[in-house]
Amino acid sequence: MKNNTFKLILIAVVALVSVWSIWPTYRDYALTKKLNSFDSRADSLKFALDHRQEIEQAHDKSLKLGLDLKGGMHLVMEVDILDLIEQKAWNKDDKFNRIMDNVRRQAGESNDNVVNILAAEFRKENIKLSRYFYDLRDSDQEVISKLNAEAQDALIRAKEIIRNRIDQYGVAEPVIQTQGSRRLIIELSGVTDEARVRRLLMGTAKLEFKLVKEPQQLLRAVERAGTVSLQAPSRPVQADSAQVSAGGVVAKKLSEVIGVMPNGQVFTPAYAHDLVAAALKRDDVNALLPQDTQLLLSAKPEQTAKGEKYYLLYLVQKTPELTGGVITEAKATFSSQDSQPEVLMSMNDEGTSKWARITGANIGKQIAIVLDGSVYSAPVVQSRIPSGNSVINGIGSLDEAKDLEIILKAGSLPAPVRILEERTVGPSLGSDYIRDGLLSVTWGFTAVALFMIFYYHKAGIAADLALVLNILIVISVLAGFSAALTLPGIAGIVLTMGMAVDANVLIYERIREELADGKSLRMAIDTGYNKAFSSILDSHVTTLAAAFLLYVYGVGPVQGFAVTLMIGTAASLFTAIVVTKVLFDLFFESKLMNEKSFG
Amino acid sequence: MRLFQKSNINFMGHRKIAYVISTVLLVAGLVSLFVRGLNYGIDFKGGSEVVIRFEKPVDVATVRSIMRQANVSGMVKQYGMDRSLLLKTDFQGNTATLKSLISNSLATNLASNPAEILSIQAVGPSIASDMKMSALKALAAALIGILLYVSIRFEFKFAVAGVVAIFHDVLTVLGLFSLLGGLFDYMPLEVDQSIIAAFLTIAGYSITDTVVVYDRIRERLRGQKPSDYERIFNESLNQTLSRTVITSGTTMLTVLVLFFFAGPAIRGFAFAMFAGILIGTYSSIFVAAPIVFDWQRRSKNPIKLKGA
Repeated sequence: MKNNTFKLILIAVVALVSVWSIWPTYRDYALTKKLNSFDSRADSLKFALDHRQEIEQAHDKSLKLGLDLKGGMHLVMEVDILDLIEQKAWNKDDKFNRIMDNVRRQAGESNDNVVNILAAEFRKENIKLSRYFYDLRDSDQEVISKLNAEAQDALIRAKEIIRNRIDQYGVAEPVIQTQGSRRLIIELSGVTDEARVRRLLMGTAKLEFKLVKEPQQLLRAVERAGTVSLQAPSRPVQADSAQVSAGGVVAKKLSEVIGVMPNGQVFTPAYAHDLVAAALKRDDVNALLPQDTQLLLSAKPEQTAKGEKYYLLYLVQKTPELTGGVITEAKATFSSQDSQPEVLMSMNDEGTSKWARITGANIGKQIAIVLDGSVYSAPVVQSRIPSGNSVINGIGSLDEAKDLEIILKAGSLPAPVRILEERTVGPSLGSDYIRDGLLSVTWGFTAVALFMIFYYHKAGIAADLALVLNILIVISVLAGFSAALTLPGIAGIVLTMGMAVDANVLIYERIREELADGKSLRMAIDTGYNKAFSSILDSHVTTLAAAFLLYVYGVGPVQGFAVTLMIGTAASLFTAIVVTKVLFDLFFESKLMNEKSFG
Repeated sequence: MRLFQKSNINFMGHRKIAYVISTVLLVAGLVSLFVRGLNYGIDFKGGSEVVIRFEKPVDVATVRSIMRQANVSGMVKQYGMDRSLLLKTDFQGNTATLKSLISNSLATNLASNPAEILSIQAVGPSIASDMKMSALKALAAALIGILLYVSIRFEFKFAVAGVVAIFHDVLTVLGLFSLLGGLFDYMPLEVDQSIIAAFLTIAGYSITDTVVVYDRIRERLRGQKPSDYERIFNESLNQTLSRTVITSGTTMLTVLVLFFFAGPAIRGFAFAMFAGILIGTYSSIFVAAPIVFDWQRRSKNPIKLKGA
C-alpha cells in the first residue's frame, strides 16, 4: 500500500486536472443552453450582461471545435509571386514572355519556390537573369537573393494585409498561416457568407482613376474588337462557367454579345458578362484597340425597365491619372443625394495636388474610378476639386461599401491572390456531424465496456474505469492546449479506446496464463504486469512514433487525427500501467478480488 | 469465459499455405491497382463536392436531370440521410459561380422542395498533387521509423519481417479499395486524406500486433537451441492467440460502430480500418513470424536478442 500512495496522488491529480480543464467546456455549453432558453430577447440580453465575465471566460477556455464540426471556411490561397516578378522586370521581350509562360505552367503544378523555377529556366536557356532584373552588373546569385527577398516580403505583407482585413471584418479566432514560399492557409470559423469573404480576401483593391475616351472612339473600338472569335481564347479563362451562365445562348463572335443603345452607350447582357470579361483580357482583343487604351466593364449591372440586367463597357486610357496609393482615409456611408451606399475617400498632400490638377484640366470630361479592373463610376468632372476628396459610388449594398472601406484602409495586396482550395461547411452539417460523431463514440464505448465486463468480470470494471479516465484525459488535453476537435479527431478517440483496451487485454491474458500455471493471485497479478510491460511499451511506442510522423508529414485532417492519437496513446500508456495496477492493488487489499475475478 | 484456451495450432507447419493465400491476395490487389486504379477523392484529384439538403425526401434521378440541364456535369448520389445529396464535379473554378448555378436551377425546377447547400469544397489540381506527395512522405517516414525502432528493440530480421507485413497489409487493403471502389453507393471507397490516416493507422496497428507476438517469441527463445525454434514459434503464437483475437475483436467493434453511425464522410475510413485490422491480425501470425522463422532457418547465426 505504501508505494501506491504516490501513484494514487498522481492519479487523483490527473483526474482533477482533467475535470478542471473540461469544466469550462461544460459551463460554456450550459450557459449557451440557458441563454437560448429565455422567452424574450430582453431577458436573454439581461442574463448575458449580468454574467458577461463568466460567459466569456467559459467560452475562452472551452474545447474548440474544428471547422468540419462547427462550420466555417477553410481556404488555401496562393500569392501570385510570379506576377510581382513580372512587374519588376524591364526590357521585357518575346523571349522573356516565353520563359515566363513556361515558369507559370510549372509553378501551377507544384509548390516549389517560383524564384528557383525561374532561375532554373533561365539557366536552361543560358540567359543571365540580370538581363531583365535589377542591375546588369548583378550576378545571377545576387538577382536570385534579391528576388527571393522580394517574394518573401510579398508573402509576409499579403498575410498582414489579409489579417488586417479579416480583423476589421470581425471573425473570431481566425487562423492565418503561411505554407511554403507562396501559400496562405486561412481558417474562418462560423463564417457562412463565403461570397463576401472571398471578395474581401481577393480584392487587390487596385484603385485607379482613368480618363474615359470619347463615345465615337468607343464605338469604333467596339466595332473592331467585335470581330474576334470567342471560341479560341489565347488563355482559357473559366470558359465553362461563362457558357453555362449564357442561358442557352452560345455566341461565336464578341459582337454577338455586345450591343449599342440609342444614347450611344455600349452594353453586354448580364448572362454574357463572364464571357466578355474574359475576352477583354485577351491579347488579340487588346491589339485591335487604339494604343494605350483598354475596354473595361462596369462593376455593377444596370437594369432596364423590364428588369433585364446589363453591364456597360467603357474605353479608357490605359495609364491611370492617379492610383489608390494616395488614399489616406476611406469611409462607407450613404449618399446624401440618392441614399445609395458610397465610399468617401481623402488623399494625402501629393494626391490632393495631383487630383486638383487632373480635375482642373479635364472639366466636362468623364473620369472612371476603376477598382480591380472594373469601373465603379465614371462621373463627369464639373469643376476643379482642390480638397483631395473623391467618392466611389455605384456600389450594390452597404455591406459591400463597408468591405471596400476595409480593403482600402488595410492597403492593397502586393500581388494578386488566387484561391486554390476552398471548403465551406454550413453550421447545420456541422451539427449533424457532432451528433453522429458523439453517437458513435458513445456506442463504441458502451460496446467495448460491456464486452470487457462480460469477458473479464471484475477486472473488466477496472479496465472500464481506466477507459473513462483515458477519454477524459484526451478531451481535457485538447481543451487545455486549445486544439480543435475535428471529425478525424473523433475517429482518433474511438481508435484510442481500442488501444487502451488492448493494453488491458495483454495484461489480463497474461494474468490468466499465470493463474493457469498455478500461481497465487498476488503472484499472478505482479508477474502478469511485469511480463506484459515490454509488449505494452513496444506497441505503444511504435504507435506513438507512427502518429508523431503522421503529424509531422501529414497535412490538414490527418494532423487532427494524429494529435488525438498521440494524446490517446500516451494516456493509454498511463492508464494501463499505473491506473489499473493501483485499482487492482486496492481491490486485492480490500478482498474484493479472488481467482475468479479474471473471468 | 475463455477463447482459445490451450490452443495448439501448428502455425509454422502450415505457413506455406499462408504464403500462397497472401501471394494470391497481393497479386489480385496489384493487378487491380494497375488495371482499375484507385478511386481518388477530390483531395487527390481536384474538383468540387457539394452537399445539398432538401426539405423533403428527393428523387436522385430528378436532381440528376436538373443538374444535367444546368450543364453541371458530374455525379449525384445519396449522402447519408435520404434528404441529402452529394454532387461531385470536375469543376475547379469559382465556387460562388457553382453555388449560385446549383441553387438557382434547383429553386426554379424544384420550387416545392427548397434545398440548402450544406457544404461546398473545391480543390485545385496543384494542391491535390501536393497532398499526394505529403501522404507518401508520411507513409515512408512512418515505415522508416518503425524499422529503426524494431531493429533496436529486437533484431534486424524481425524489423524487416515486420515492415514486410506492413507492406502486405497496406497493399492488400489498397487492392481491396481498388477492387471494390465505386461498386457500392453507400461506401464509395475513395482515396482521400482521411484514408491516408487510416493506412498509417493500419501500419501502426499491424506493427503493434506483430510486436506483441515478437515479444513473446523473444521471451521464450532465451537459452533455447535453434532446433527448438519451430516449437517455440508455435507455442508463442498459440499463447498470444487469445489476446490477438480479443484485441482485434474489440477494435473491430469500435470501427464497426464508426462505419454504421459516424456518417457517410467517415465510412470509407472505417472500412479501411476494419479490413486493415483483419488483415493485420492475420499477417502478424501468418506473415511476420513465419518470415523470421524461414530467414532464421537459412542463416547460420542464432538469433541475437536485445531488449528486455
